[in-house]
Amino acid sequence: MSILLDNNTKVLIQGMTGKEGQKAAGAMMDYGTQVLCGVTPGKGGQDVVGKPVFNTVAEAVAQFPETSVSAIYAPPFASKAAALEAIEAGIPFVYIFAERVPIQDTAYILAAARERGTRILGPSSMGCIVPGVARLGLIGGPKEQADQIYQAGSIGIISRSGGMTNELSWQIRKNGMGQSTAVHVGGDLLMGTTYADLLRLFEKDAATKAVVLFGEQGGTYEFEAVEAIRNKEFTKPLSIFVGGKFTSSLPEGMNIGHAGAIVARGQGAAEKEAALREVGAMIANNYEELIELIKPFA
Amino acid sequence: MNLYEFEGKNIFEKYGIKIPRGVVVRRGENFADAYTNLGVSNVVVKAQVLSGKRGKSGGIKFCSSAEEVQKACEEIFAMNLRGQYIAAIRIEKKLVIAEEQYLSITYDTNKKQPVLIYSREGGMDIEDVPEEIIVKQWIDIRSESIESDIPFANELWQIFLKEDTRLVEINPLVKTTTGEWIAADAKIAIDDDAFFRHSTEKMRGVLNWETLEPRTMMGRLPTDREIEAKKIDEGEAYYRGTAGKYIEMDGDIALILNGGGASIANMDAIIAEGLKPANYTEYSGNPPREKVQALAKVVLSKPGVRGLWMCGVVANFTNMKETFLGIIDVLDELKPSYPIVVRRDGPESAEAIRLVEECAARNNLNLKIFNKDMGMSESAKIFSGMLKQA
Repeated sequence: MSILLDNNTKVLIQGMTGKEGQKAAGAMMDYGTQVLCGVTPGKGGQDVVGKPVFNTVAEAVAQFPETSVSAIYAPPFASKAAALEAIEAGIPFVYIFAERVPIQDTAYILAAARERGTRILGPSSMGCIVPGVARLGLIGGPKEQADQIYQAGSIGIISRSGGMTNELSWQIRKNGMGQSTAVHVGGDLLMGTTYADLLRLFEKDAATKAVVLFGEQGGTYEFEAVEAIRNKEFTKPLSIFVGGKFTSSLPEGMNIGHAGAIVARGQGAAEKEAALREVGAMIANNYEELIELIKPFA
Repeated sequence: MNLYEFEGKNIFEKYGIKIPRGVVVRRGENFADAYTNLGVSNVVVKAQVLSGKRGKSGGIKFCSSAEEVQKACEEIFAMNLRGQYIAAIRIEKKLVIAEEQYLSITYDTNKKQPVLIYSREGGMDIEDVPEEIIVKQWIDIRSESIESDIPFANELWQIFLKEDTRLVEINPLVKTTTGEWIAADAKIAIDDDAFFRHSTEKMRGVLNWETLEPRTMMGRLPTDREIEAKKIDEGEAYYRGTAGKYIEMDGDIALILNGGGASIANMDAIIAEGLKPANYTEYSGNPPREKVQALAKVVLSKPGVRGLWMCGVVANFTNMKETFLGIIDVLDELKPSYPIVVRRDGPESAEAIRLVEECAARNNLNLKIFNKDMGMSESAKIFSGMLKQA
């Protein structure tokens, strides 16, 4: 089994007629993902990689009511409108590829999604992959490369960095293990699907025995993970690395104001590590150590 | 990007938030004249820097004559304020304060929505104010306005929305002895990714981001290289890959890294080898050859560089051949003799490696290139070894 994707996942691609959209459509289909159709306003009636293109998500869903995911390949300035259209059309899972989506637009998308119970992955996410079954997005790269890196196994991967999703998965593979599902949550300030959301899903997934998490400094997302573990919503082994020690050598006050400090009071890097340790998570000092720590649990 | 206090106050004023009467002076200007023209006797002279704690570091002085202002301005422009660059000074009317409060709006990453934070005790020690005094009110991002008894709450919300900010803060929010509310300070951070709706062509708010003076958080003016690199990701294709991230540093090791997360981890790795980066740079998101070429040109133009480490992960969709061609263009031109180590994999990696090897052969470069079979940190060790022999 797996999380987020399975054999029945059926994908619609918004922005499929664009360069990245076409590439993504090809990459997903190569890997065995079922791509049903695409949407690009004003380009309805065209065909891309043999799939029909519609003007609106509503039209596409009317034709393909079984659509379970919309993958959005619109440019950053158009991602909000595209995501709201997908949410409005009732698609349960919306994946956003674009980097540099304004935070306000993301907040708006997440507010609308919360109301409708829509899952959002991203923005600025490379997607997710279930080895040998399906992938959402270009994660893993060309099929030949993806096949070298990903093989079905028992380790769940969560990463804040797209490149590190691959890199960690490759190290897992090199060490004789495999991945249940690998997910890139995206590097933005606001993430649609968080560490804690994924840990809860991995808990229920029979294929996953343990999880590795590549985090980054900033934000409070690790504390949600701590809460999930404390509440026994996640009970499997977890190894975690929070990157970016060098940033402490940069001048202080890269963030101005006190609001961040007030929101995140008592939630600095040291507190994060202490809280994670307290609930039994394994803390890696570098990303290579993530693999060593998780190996006994594969 | 962080705004200076005077820029923030200009915005405040346009949204109906009262600010103290004042004037901005730059290096080399006549400070005494500026004071005299202001026509206020008791003033505060404030260093304009991009981050906080300036009050505790001597960046704020009280004056009541032209001579005092002249001296204070000269001192401030000469001082080292926690390593921050002092872009200007704002001379403004000193307030007669009855109360100092605190008000801000920012994003709460936990609740994934804006939060208004208010404290009836504000000022320099806001971080030590007890939790029970702090009022937090979460706001639906879709709200066009908010109702609140807190002074300037809706004005601040309008700024937060229309100016696309990550943070707006008034600290202290002052009540004068005559009962008037006034913003004694202004901190605003704008969300760079929203630039497309704040240009000459399209103005959503009152601030045209294109006219802002260049700045960096590195405590100095941006270098020519940083300004040059920033241009790479501007224009119509701004979102087609990122290749304009360049921070100039004091060391002598040129770095071209990839990916937000991996590049940070690799900065840690190179520093762990005892090496000093000449820059922090990463490109990602499949930028075209031209962007990478422009970036490599900037990175390798720094004098005194004695080695180049190009280290990246197994790319998802950044085409290794296309992007490396941009770097090869620059290596062909410069033919550097210092050690170069490359570790990278991704789409078209075999072809990319062949092209780099050819480039190394025809230019007689001291270069080693590896794919994913080599670990990233391991390649840093090999690089370090080559430097010792060079």
